[in-house]
Amino acid sequence: MEIHRVAVIGGGTMGVGIARTIAGAGVEVLLCEKDQPSLATTQKALDETLDHEVARWGLTAPEKTLILRRITGTWKIWEAAHAELIIETVTEDFDLKKEVFAKLDEICDPVVIFVTNTSTLSISQLAASTRRPASFVGLHFVNPVPKTGVVEVIRGLQTSDQTVEQVQQFAGMLGKTAIPVYEYPGYVTTRVILPMINEAIYIVMEGVATAEDVDTAMKLGYKLELGPLALADRMGLDEVMAWMEHLFRELGDLKYRPCPLLRKLVRAGRLGVKTGEGFFKY
Amino acid sequence: MEMKILVLNCGSSSVKFQLIETSPEQIASNQDRLLARGTVDKIGTGEAIVAYEVPGKTKTKFSREILEHKAAIKTVVSALTDPLAGVIAKPEEIEGVGHRIVHGGEYFTGSVEMEEAVVKQIEDIIDLAPLHNPHNLKGYYASRALFPGAAQVAVFDTAFHHTMPPEAHLYGLPYVLYTRYKIRRYGFHGTSHRYVSYRFAQIHSTTRAEYKLITCHLGNGCSMCAIDHGKSVDTTMGFTPLEGLMMGTRSGDLDPAAVLYVMANEDLSAAEVSSLLNKHSGLYGVSGISNDMRTLLEESRKGQARARLAVDLFCYRAKKHLGALYAALNGADAVIFTGGIGENAPAVRAQICDRLDALGIQIDTEKNEAATGVESNISDAGAATQVWVIPTNEELLIARDTLRTILKIPHG
Repeated sequence: MEIHRVAVIGGGTMGVGIARTIAGAGVEVLLCEKDQPSLATTQKALDETLDHEVARWGLTAPEKTLILRRITGTWKIWEAAHAELIIETVTEDFDLKKEVFAKLDEICDPVVIFVTNTSTLSISQLAASTRRPASFVGLHFVNPVPKTGVVEVIRGLQTSDQTVEQVQQFAGMLGKTAIPVYEYPGYVTTRVILPMINEAIYIVMEGVATAEDVDTAMKLGYKLELGPLALADRMGLDEVMAWMEHLFRELGDLKYRPCPLLRKLVRAGRLGVKTGEGFFKY
Repeated sequence: MEMKILVLNCGSSSVKFQLIETSPEQIASNQDRLLARGTVDKIGTGEAIVAYEVPGKTKTKFSREILEHKAAIKTVVSALTDPLAGVIAKPEEIEGVGHRIVHGGEYFTGSVEMEEAVVKQIEDIIDLAPLHNPHNLKGYYASRALFPGAAQVAVFDTAFHHTMPPEAHLYGLPYVLYTRYKIRRYGFHGTSHRYVSYRFAQIHSTTRAEYKLITCHLGNGCSMCAIDHGKSVDTTMGFTPLEGLMMGTRSGDLDPAAVLYVMANEDLSAAEVSSLLNKHSGLYGVSGISNDMRTLLEESRKGQARARLAVDLFCYRAKKHLGALYAALNGADAVIFTGGIGENAPAVRAQICDRLDALGIQIDTEKNEAATGVESNISDAGAATQVWVIPTNEELLIARDTLRTILKIPHG
């Protein structure tokens, strides 16, 4: 079954990136925000993202218009009832996500696939709060969504093979390679990258090398596009810390303990690109 | 022995179609009949646009939900069989469907009936034309289901150029890249180059086998072809339609080292650099105004310097390639202009042919100005090399090839 109508709930960085990617693949998207002012902010962010891509020759102006035309903004969640697949990207808060899914569960046909973009919460637990645990699945996109070629498809305890297959097919249509994973803290991508970032921070804290040199060494040594510290700055150091704490809590292994320097920077409000300074200045 | 042939040209979100009645006799006398034509645009949306025309009679345009190519072709069938605006009573009247397939790789040297093995081979080479072949095939799958009794024929953009010798079709790269990935020059617009060279011969009541021709297809995409006694011996497009002449939004030839330099300095991904070269360059990139030659000619008349520069670059590069193909052929009997710009922009033709008298090319200003969109000889009476304008008609050639494939007669 080819999917033609998708709704994205939540217009943060991930929501905008996901909606833009889907529209870029030629599929119509309903982008749903919680109220009118948030929707206006989201639409502005979307417009700016696309302008940036045009300035970098990645898109032409007509392609931008076409993409925008495929994305319908709304703050009325019930309009998502017409979608065949719904991707939820609201704030990482169990009760909030549960509430959103409860609303959607009421208005959507039972065959509609529910996707959550969570990276920390339990899919099985969220799925259990709906009437469709078999059609409930996680998708972990990696930021920046339009440029990253991979997506993790997370199978909850009750997710059906058919749902996984459909979502994998959908990911393929978006030009992404789907990596099927079982629900487990950090899946693949986060579980591997975060300890590396944390270790890089330890190296800086222990005075082994400067932040610049750590990044240069890793970039040139392992052909990374960004060094681990620049990557952390881009992700947001508060996010990195929250993630490490989550892995530490869930898996209980000391290797996931957040580096004290990371904690210190977060407390000082130096969160990376979004505050203008983290390990580097922006 | 007339047949009604449906010609389909399927893009990612569009279907262009023509219904043509043709027969060997009609081909010989150039009397094929266009029964209907149209387009379906914005496929995959709730508001696809269908335009349908019966030449000289009706013209309609409407919008409706069309989510995939099969639904689009179904809509085409209902338009063609409509009791009021239709031109046939039932779909079974269509005896053949001709599909434009962009890339035939090294497999296909001419038009062929789409038997299972053929479709498999086209699927095999999807990698060579990922933007075109998959959509061309969608048209085929839909058409096979909708016209089970009709012959399905593939007509390739690349096939005409299969006669290029190795020195023309290979690159100066490690040979293993050719054997491993089939990196070589394929050439495109073959149907157009073939059609106008055939027409030229037909106008002169001879066969193409008597002439050496340089055909210039100048549209939004541009290519030239050197045709020696009916066979393509070289063309300007290569592995992809990016090589050769400067085009509307494509760069044409450039030093690959410049690409590597820009990629490194602007931190561009492969997708971004592909978009830069294919969609942000050419007339549009140089002028910063438009990819439309009409706009640029208008602006340069008003003194817009960058518009002038873009036109100058376009014409100069075309002139250089024309000279190269002239050398490849060791002379030419005629140069033929076709395509949107080639057929309708006398100023561009004049600028390309200016100061080419060393090659026997001299055009007559008045004849050139008068020739827009019509077949005509625009060369100076005494010129050694004729210059012609011949409007292209790729759909017609696809219909004719389809008919000839069904009747198992030579393609000409």
